[in-house]
Amino acid sequence: MFSQKGLSLDQAPPISVVFRFFLQGASFGILGGVLLALYQNEIFDPASKGALVLTHVFTLGIMLSVMLAALFQMLPVIAGVKLTSPAKKANWVQYPLIAGILSLLLAFHFGKIAWLYLLASLLLGGSLLFISFEMIKKLLQVPNHTSSSKGITAALFSLAILVIAALYLTATLGGYSEGIHYVQIKTAHYSFGLFGWIAVLIISISFQVIEMFYVTPPYPNFANRYLSNGILFLLAAASILSFFLPDIWMICHLILALLLSIYAIITLKRLSKRKRPVSDATVWFWRLGLGSLIISMLCFALGLFVQTAWIHALAYLFFGAFALSIVFAMFYKIIPFLTWFHLSSQGYFTAPMMHEVIHPKTAKKHFWIHCSMMTAFIMSLIVPQLIVLASLLTVLSFGWMGYQIIHAHLLYVKTQKEGHKFSMNA
Amino acid sequence: MIISHYMKHEHRLCDDYFAKAEEAASKKDWEEATKQFEIFAHETLQHFKKEEEVLFPAFEKQTGSTEGPTGVMKYEHEHVRGLIGKMAEAILDEDVDAYLSLAESMMILLQQHNMKEEQMLYAMCDRVLPVATKEETLEAMKQTEL
Repeated sequence: MFSQKGLSLDQAPPISVVFRFFLQGASFGILGGVLLALYQNEIFDPASKGALVLTHVFTLGIMLSVMLAALFQMLPVIAGVKLTSPAKKANWVQYPLIAGILSLLLAFHFGKIAWLYLLASLLLGGSLLFISFEMIKKLLQVPNHTSSSKGITAALFSLAILVIAALYLTATLGGYSEGIHYVQIKTAHYSFGLFGWIAVLIISISFQVIEMFYVTPPYPNFANRYLSNGILFLLAAASILSFFLPDIWMICHLILALLLSIYAIITLKRLSKRKRPVSDATVWFWRLGLGSLIISMLCFALGLFVQTAWIHALAYLFFGAFALSIVFAMFYKIIPFLTWFHLSSQGYFTAPMMHEVIHPKTAKKHFWIHCSMMTAFIMSLIVPQLIVLASLLTVLSFGWMGYQIIHAHLLYVKTQKEGHKFSMNA
Repeated sequence: MIISHYMKHEHRLCDDYFAKAEEAASKKDWEEATKQFEIFAHETLQHFKKEEEVLFPAFEKQTGSTEGPTGVMKYEHEHVRGLIGKMAEAILDEDVDAYLSLAESMMILLQQHNMKEEQMLYAMCDRVLPVATKEETLEAMKQTEL
C-alpha cells in the first residue's frame, strides 16, 4: 500500500522519462504548426486529409505524449502504483510511438499505401496496448482506490478500446478489411478518444491536483465517485447499442456534453473558492481550459441538431483549447517541481527553486501566446488568411514549451555537475 | 473516525495560515507574513510532534511495524522541516520571489503528504486501533505541545 519512501526517488521514475515525453509532445506541436501552414483552412473540413492529419498530430503527437509523461510520473504518487523499470518501459513505448505516429501521418497524407497503415498499426497498436495493459494490471492490484486512481483506470481502458477500434479503421483504410462497421467503429474510436481517454484522464487527475495545488474544498461525492466510470459505462453501452440503434450516439453525446459541462462548472467553482489567493498562470490556464470545455460542449450539443460546419469546427477548436490549456497548467507545475524535488532529494542544497527553473512570468507570457493562438484559430473561420498567423503562433507556443524543458534539463545537469551536495549519512 | 476527523481539521488549519502568510508575502506585508508564517510553522511542527510522539507509536505498537507507512511519513516530515527553515530565511531577507517559490514547493509537498495521511494512514488508524486506545491517543495528542 505504501512504498517505503513516499514521494521519493525510489518511487518516482527517472526525471528524464518525464522530460522526454514532454519534449516529444512539444516537438509534435511544432510539427503541427508547420503542417498547419501546409494544409491551411482545409483542416476545417472534417472529410479532408488535412483534418485527419492535424487531428492525429494533436491527439497522438501532443496529447498522448504529455499524458504518458503525466502517467509515468503521477501513478506512483496518486495511486501508489510502482512501475518496475520505468525507464526501460518508457523506451519500449516512446520509440515505436514516434515511428508509429509518423507512419500514420504519412499514411493519412498519401492515402492508400497499405504497408504504411500496417506499419503504423503494428507500432502504435503494440506500444499502446502494451503500456495501457501494463498500467491497468498494476492499477487493478491497488487495494485502496481513490477517485483519481479509479478514473485513471477508466481512462486507460478507454485508451485500449480506442486503439483496438483504430486497428479496425487502419485495416480498412489499408485495404486489409472490408470495413462493414466502419462508421460505427469510427464514432466509437473518436468518442472513446475525446471523452473516455482525454477528458476522463484530465478529470481524474484534477480530482487530486486541483485540491493539491490550489487548496480548494473537495469535489462533491457524486462527481469524484461516479463521473469517470459513468462516462466509461455510457461510451461502452453506446458502442454496443449503436450496432442496433444507430441514433444512440446522439443521446450518448448529449449526456456526455452535459456531464462535462457540469464538471467544468464544479471545477471553476472550486477554483474560485481556493484558499491560496495568489493567482499564477496555471490558475488562468485552468480557467481558460474549463471555460473552453463549456463552450466546446455547447457547440458539440448544438451540432447534434444543426448541421452547420462552423459550429462543428468551434466544438473541436474549443475542445483543443480545453485539453492544451490543462496540459500547460500541469506542465508549469510539474517541470519546476520535479526539477527541484529530484535535486533536493539527491541532497543538493544548491538545487534551483521552482521559480528559478521556470519563472511565473515566463508561464504568464506563454499563457498570452496560447490565448493569441486560440484567437487566431477561431478568427480564421471568419478571416481565412489568419490561419497562417495561427500556424506561426502554434510553432511559437510549442517552441516556448520545448525551450522550457531543455532549460530545466540543462539546469538539472549543471546542478548535478557543479552543485554542492550534502550526504544524509555523513 | 475520531482520529481522521481531528487530524484533518489540523491540516485545514495549517492550510489557512499558510495561505494567509503567502498572500501577505505576495503583497510584501512582511509584518503580517511573519506573524502568519510563525503560526503556520508552529502549528505544523506541533502537528508533526503529535504524530511522531503519540499517533505513530500507537499505530506501530498495534500493527507491530515501524518500517511501513509511519516511516514514509517521518521521512516526509524531515523534508517539510527543511523547507520551513528556508522559508523563514526568505521572510527574514524579505525576498518575495524566493518565498513564493519555496511556498510553491512546500504546498505540493505538503498536500500530497496530507492526502496520503488522510486517505490511508488516518483511516488505517481508525480501523486498527481499539476504541479505548483511540480515545487515549486523541487525548494525548490534544495535550501535546511544541
